[in-house]
Parts: sequence; C-alpha cells; structure tokens
Amino acid sequence: MKMSRRILFNVIAWGLVLAVAFPLFWMIVTSLKPGFELFRRPPTMLPETVTFEHYWRLLSETPFLLYFRNSVILASATTVVVVGIGTLGAYSLVRFRYRGRESLAFLVLFTYLLPSVVLIIPLYLFMVKLGLSNTITSLVIAYTTFALPYALWLLRSFMAGIPEDLESAALVDGASRLGAFRDVILPQLLPGIISTALFTFILAWNEYLYALVLVNSDGARPLTTGVMTMLISAFNIEWSLLMAASVMMSVPLIIVFAFLQSYLTRGFGAGAVKG
Amino acid sequence: MATADLSPLERKYARLGIVLIGPTVLVFCAVIVYPLISAIYLSLFSIYTPTLEGEWVGLSNYAELLAKGEFWSSLWTNIIWTVGTLTLQILFGVGMALILHQNMIFRSLARSLILFPYFVSTVVAVLVWRWLFNDLYGILNHFVMWTGASDMPVDWLGSMPNALLSVILVGAWKYFPFVVIATLARLQTIPDSLYEAAKIDGAGPIARFFDVTLPQLRDVLVVIIMLRAIWDFKEFDLIYLLTGGGPVTSTQTIPLLVYKEAFALNQMGMASAYAVVMMALMLVFMILYIRRTQENEL
Amino acid sequence: MTDVILDQVEKRFGSFTAVHCLDLHIKSGEFVALLGPSGCGKTTTLRMLAGLEFPTSGDIRIGERTVNDVPPGKRDIAMVFQSYALYPHMTVEQNIAYPLKKRGVPLAERGAMVSKVAELLQLDELKDRKPKQLSGGQQQRVALGRALVRDPKVFLLDEPLSNLDAKLRAYMRAELIELHARLGRTMVYVTHDQLEAMTMADRIAIMNEGRLQQLGTPDEVYNCPANRFVAGFIGQPSMNIADGTLDETARFRAGSFEIGLDPERFDTRPGPVALGLRPEAISIGAGPIAARVRVVEPTGHENIIILETDGLGALTARTAVQVRPTVGETVQCGIDADALHLFDGADGRRRNRDDSMVTQTPVGERAKVKESQ
Repeated sequence: MKMSRRILFNVIAWGLVLAVAFPLFWMIVTSLKPGFELFRRPPTMLPETVTFEHYWRLLSETPFLLYFRNSVILASATTVVVVGIGTLGAYSLVRFRYRGRESLAFLVLFTYLLPSVVLIIPLYLFMVKLGLSNTITSLVIAYTTFALPYALWLLRSFMAGIPEDLESAALVDGASRLGAFRDVILPQLLPGIISTALFTFILAWNEYLYALVLVNSDGARPLTTGVMTMLISAFNIEWSLLMAASVMMSVPLIIVFAFLQSYLTRGFGAGAVKG
Repeated sequence: MATADLSPLERKYARLGIVLIGPTVLVFCAVIVYPLISAIYLSLFSIYTPTLEGEWVGLSNYAELLAKGEFWSSLWTNIIWTVGTLTLQILFGVGMALILHQNMIFRSLARSLILFPYFVSTVVAVLVWRWLFNDLYGILNHFVMWTGASDMPVDWLGSMPNALLSVILVGAWKYFPFVVIATLARLQTIPDSLYEAAKIDGAGPIARFFDVTLPQLRDVLVVIIMLRAIWDFKEFDLIYLLTGGGPVTSTQTIPLLVYKEAFALNQMGMASAYAVVMMALMLVFMILYIRRTQENEL
Repeated sequence: MTDVILDQVEKRFGSFTAVHCLDLHIKSGEFVALLGPSGCGKTTTLRMLAGLEFPTSGDIRIGERTVNDVPPGKRDIAMVFQSYALYPHMTVEQNIAYPLKKRGVPLAERGAMVSKVAELLQLDELKDRKPKQLSGGQQQRVALGRALVRDPKVFLLDEPLSNLDAKLRAYMRAELIELHARLGRTMVYVTHDQLEAMTMADRIAIMNEGRLQQLGTPDEVYNCPANRFVAGFIGQPSMNIADGTLDETARFRAGSFEIGLDPERFDTRPGPVALGLRPEAISIGAGPIAARVRVVEPTGHENIIILETDGLGALTARTAVQVRPTVGETVQCGIDADALHLFDGADGRRRNRDDSMVTQTPVGERAKVKESQ
C-alpha cells in the first residue's frame, strides 16, 4: 500500500517536472532533426536521424558567432563593472555609518524595482548625445541601471551575513579598515561575489529591451536581438536553425547549472526573496 | 546622526565609507537619477524621434493620454496579464514546491529542470514556444487534434482570447520557478517538531497543510506576490516577442505602448508621459514592498 | 604603567544611552571584571576600550595616552571575542600570526613567536587546521593565542568562556587566573556570570542600565553591596530583600515582622527601607520567626530551603545537610542580626554605617562559617 502510493507520487511528480521541461527538450530535439523530418506528421519524438548540420550552418553561414562574441564581451564587462562597484558599495552600506546611508539603501531598493521603459528614452537620447549609440559600451552603461541595484542588493545581504566580530578582530589585530576588508572580509565574501557575478552575467546575457533600442548594427548586437533578427529577416522561418541558436545561446547557462548550481541557490536565498 | 558628535576617527571612517560608496552614487546619478528626472521633463514636450526636436507642451501629453482609449485598454490588458500570470505562477509554484519538498527520486535533477525556464533567456523561451504554438507543424496543435479536442488547428497567438491566454501561460511557465525556489527555501526552514506536534494533536495531512504549512508560508508568499506583481507588471520582452501586442492591440500592455509611441510612432514626449504614468501606478506597490523589507530588517 | 582610565565616558546610540557618565580607574596589572545583566553596557564599555565604538563624550586613557582617536590596532591591546572571531579562511598558525604580520614583524621571527604561544596553549598539533576543524575549546585557545602572541599591554576579554561547556569553563577559568598571574598584564573581562567574576577578578565593576553600580573586590561587593541592585545580583541564591518601614525608634517593620536596628550601625532615619539577608544568615531550628517550608533543594553539600513567612514573605535559607525539614512543616527560624543589610526605600542605597565590621572572610569559607554558628 505504502509502496504503491510512493510509486504513484513519483510518477505524478516526474510527469509534472517533465511537462515543464518539455519545451526545452523539444528545443534540443528540433535542433537535431534534419529538415525533412521536421515537418513529418505525426512528429517524431526522438529524431530518427541525428544531424548537426543546423549547428554547422549557424556557425558558418550566419553572424551567430559575432553576436556570441558581443554577448560574451557585453555580459563580462557588465559583470566586472557592476560587481566591482557593487562590492565596495555594499561594504560601505553595511559596515559604515554616515549621513544619508539609509536613504541610499532605500534608493537602491527602489531602482531595483524600477521599470526599464521609464529610463530607456532618456538613456537613448543620452547615448545619441554622447555618440555612443550602436556600441557595446552604451549597452554596458545601460545594463548597469538594472544590474547595479540588483548586485548591490545581493551583495548587501551577503555582506550582512559576515560576522562583524571578524572585522573587529582584524582591526584590533592591527589592520586598517581597508586592510581588514582585503584580509578578512573579501575572502569571506567570495562565494557571495561569485554567486552575484553569475546572476549578473545571466541577467546581462538575457537582456533584450535595451539591446533592441540602443544597438542597430551587427557589430555590436548581442545574441538576444541578433537571434531575433535572424528570425525576422529570414525569408521562411527555419525552425531547426533557430532551435540550434537557442541551444547554443543557453550553453553558458547549462555550464553554470552543471557546475555552479550551489552558488545559484545561495544567491536566491540571499537577495531575491529575503529582499 | 549629527556629524558634530563624531570623533575624528569616526569621521575618518565615515569619509572612507563615502569614498567607497562614491562610484555607486556616481553611476546611480548618471544612469538612473538623471534619466528618471529627464523622463519626467521630456514628458512635458512633444518630440519627434528622428530629429529629436521638440517643443514645450506642458501637461497636454497627460491630458491627451488620459482621454485616449488606447491607454485605458492597455492598462486593462496589463492588469489582466499581471493578475492572470501571477495567479498561475503562485498556484503552480507553491504546488511544485510542495512536491519537490517530498522525497522523490532524482530530486536535485528535478529541481534543476524546474529552475531552467527561469534562467533561460526570454528570447529562447519565446522562440521555443512559438515553435510549439506553430499552427501547421507545432506539437501543441498536433496534440490538440490527436486528442480530438478540436479538428481545426488552434490559432494560439493570432486571435483573441487565445493570444492573451497563451501569453499568460508562457509567462507563468517562465516565471513560476522563482516561486518554487523561494517557497522551497522557506519550507525547508519549517521545523519538523511543528509537524510532529500537529500529528500528536491528531491533525491529518490536509489539516497539517492548512494549520502548519500555510501559516508558515504566509510571510514569504506576501513578499513573493509583491515582488512578482511588480516584475510582471513591467514585463516587456516576453509579450513583445510573443505577439508584439497583437492581434492589433489586444495583448498590448503599457510597456509595449511606451515602446511603440517612442520608436514606431516617433512620439518621444508622449511615450515619456506613458512611462511616467506607469511608474506612478507601480509606485504604490513599490512603496508597499520597500516598507515591508525595511520593517523586516529593523 | 598601563592604567586604564575611563573619565566621564558616555555613549549614546541615537536617543538611547548605553553608558552613562562612567568613571573607572583600572590599575596597571589588575584583573577587573565588568559584570552585569545583558544590555547593561558592559560590552559597549569594552568595545570603547578596544576602539571599536567611540565615546560620545569623555576620555579613555590607556597608560599615559588618551586614546579616543587612536585606532584599535594602535592601542596596544588585544581582544578575545565571545564568538572567538577566528578568521575562517586562515589556518590556526595564520590566525595567530596575523597580528604579528599586521605589525610588520619579520616572517622569520613570526614563526618562533607563534610556536611559543602554540606550545603554551597546547596547539602545536593543530597549527595547520582551519578553525572549522577545531572543537569549541580549541577555538577558544586559538583566540587566546592570537591575543597573547604580541604581548599587549592590556587584554580585553568579552565573555570568552560563555560558549564552552561547564567542565571546560571551570578548567579555563583556572588557566586564565594562572595566565594573569604569570603575565601580570592589565585585563578587562566582561561577563554576565558572577561566578567567573568572583573567582577570577581582583576587582569587579558591576553595571546596570548603563551605570556603574559598584567597583570593589569580590569580598566588598558580596559583603558590602553598595545598593539594592548589587545586593540582589551578587550571590547565589540571591539575597532575601524585604520591603518595610523604619519608625522613629529604629524598629524595622514588615507586616507582623519587626526587629530593632542599632543606630550605631545603620542610618536609621525613619521612612521606607528594605532589609537584606543572605540565605546563610538564616538559621532553621530555633528562633522567633515561624515559617512554613515550601521547597527543599538538597545540593549534596548543603540544602537550599525556601520558606514562607508572614512578615518577610518568601525567604531562601542555606543550611547544613543535616538540617532537612519536610515540606509543609512549620519551623522556627532565626536571623543573624550582625549580617543585616539595610537599603534606602527610595534610591536603594546601602544604609549600613560601619562597613569595616563586616568580616572579610574568603569567598569559599563563607558558607561554612555560617553553618557552624
């Protein structure tokens, strides 16, 4: 009785999990099917012949690699800038006392929730005026608008989790404030920094709206808008090719999931919900 | 705290703190505060996008938008979208969290699979779903016809009310993992002793859910709902990429309206006015949420 | 000379005053315990000594120097934290060497100094471990080692033993007493545990609600508590204190209980007062007070008996093992008139006149003396 109920539960639970994951499964299957098999009715659940031709065409015949390169530069630059500034800022917000600190923390949270569409028009004008439109730099600047409050907020709660006594001990032991930061706080914060960096990277990697508005040339276009241009500009939509692009676009994510998942859950616990 | 009370060393520390926050403040002013203020300022102009030339029109943009049916219908769509997708996210998210909290085989793999939609790019999610929704070769239509629910392929995105329902469904699929993870984290902190005590008091599994689990989840659910309501309300990518607001304007929410005014109709001033009104509407939720977080911190 | 002096030190956090106008003079080489209930300001005081908090007003002097604006690292102090605050990413050896490193001690000398301390504290075997791999007692010793290694002028200890189990705590108490005797350094020790304060300290500073209540040797605070708070706080079980009034004839009355007080020994101005009696000043068997026995707690070497009386309310008595009344029984008991404490009814101040009369019996002997009476 008990055994059969357990089995039933597992079947239902896994049924639901697979239903949720099905679109992703279908994405991979489609990307591996040869063109003629794609339009078979009824569709084949697993490809009868596995082909990598779409991936090959994606890399050789489309600007996919260029977009990919742009996205890597864009997301990495955003992450470095935001995590660098954010770490110092979070340290200051958590461990220093000065006038205006509370209102600053309020401002951070406020901007964390601010809709992008409010900022996008002034930012667009701003970039045009500075002559930065159609550059990766303009996107890095625009991405800090959402990534910095986000990273600050995460890092702030990681920082708050480091016992204050550790810093006090370092001060008594003869370190300056910055010395204590380097010797004691930074090593303790490292897991939090990694997890914040991952989240920031993913956020920047996936961003669409700013890229749509601020960049209009292949030279600076990241993957999100780039792949969508491939969809729109194609004479007839090549689903296999698009699915191959989707899979390739998710590769960094899959790597993170495979090796660094504990950092992701940690980040979730720290900032996203406790808020 | 008055600076006069501080000792020199304390003042030195405070100065260091300000130096460390300096870059943040600078960036905030340049990319957030300044654009925010200029958004409000721009909304008082009529600006033609390609030439960026404008003239002062005062509050007439606001008067115009409030009189326009498109604003109200977009707002209405926006509310339906937010409430609909949020409800599904919460129901499905909490349910899935309860399932994943149980002992099931390959639980960590199941968790990863559930989490994936949340982290995948909206562009990827939309491409996959558009392929699933494809009227001729999409597997969803194949499934619908195979079960006999309909003998005609369903037009998932091109007609109403299907389009709005599809958008709500995809939104729920993409964002419910957030609810799962947040709920799961809270579930794991409920002490077993509470359940044991309830068992001793004679509570069955259903009573235990309503008397132990749900009250414990209440706080975290309130936070999740507020946060997701804010994020869902301002969602642009997913809806824009799935339907572009169509058919015609039936899935057009305010963020899409702002984009259309600014970059398709080339009315930057008007678009700014829409954005400002939208922010004002969201402000209520944002302040509620911020209040709550600050309370929790104190 | 490294006296530690707090001169009119006050600390406010916003509208809350954590420490009120504190004057404290700790002599060079002295072991002073800051004792009080939680939230009494003792830890804030210690952190001000360390330079981790800053006084809102007043001066702090260590040795000849006013250190108000000297950062913690330059005050020539070492501190042991309640949480030990060991650096989790460093090994035991690196932890102990850290203060040396920060003071620019050459690498070659560091090794020798760390080894010496590690040997002293029996940490040689553990030098390459990380704090996480150590037991609580071992972590405590590493924290101590980090403080010892650079031979500071003043040691500040913030409840260093409170996270240890009872047995280890007793052992470490003895170790610390020995250490203090050997080093002869000034030590300031924060604790909420009166046993620690009484057994280890040369003098105890008792604090409550941010104010210093009394500064004195363990004997002074036990035998001549400066006020009602100290009287009630020091001593286990605590002093019996009964509210009553003094009339013009110097008789103390509380309900049906009354006793004449000697105006030579007490300030007997009439008015509301409180009478204090240590549990060992109550004898059971013969005497004028009739009491019902409510609880008998045998501890093995003595009995603690809670009595119910008419005038004095509940009284706790400490008796020899042989004296063991049954619960519910009514007994007669007497009080030792020489051991009475009188406190002012309004401000709680001590109103005994001649404190030199109080016998200066060593702490441990006290109970025995009373039993033999």
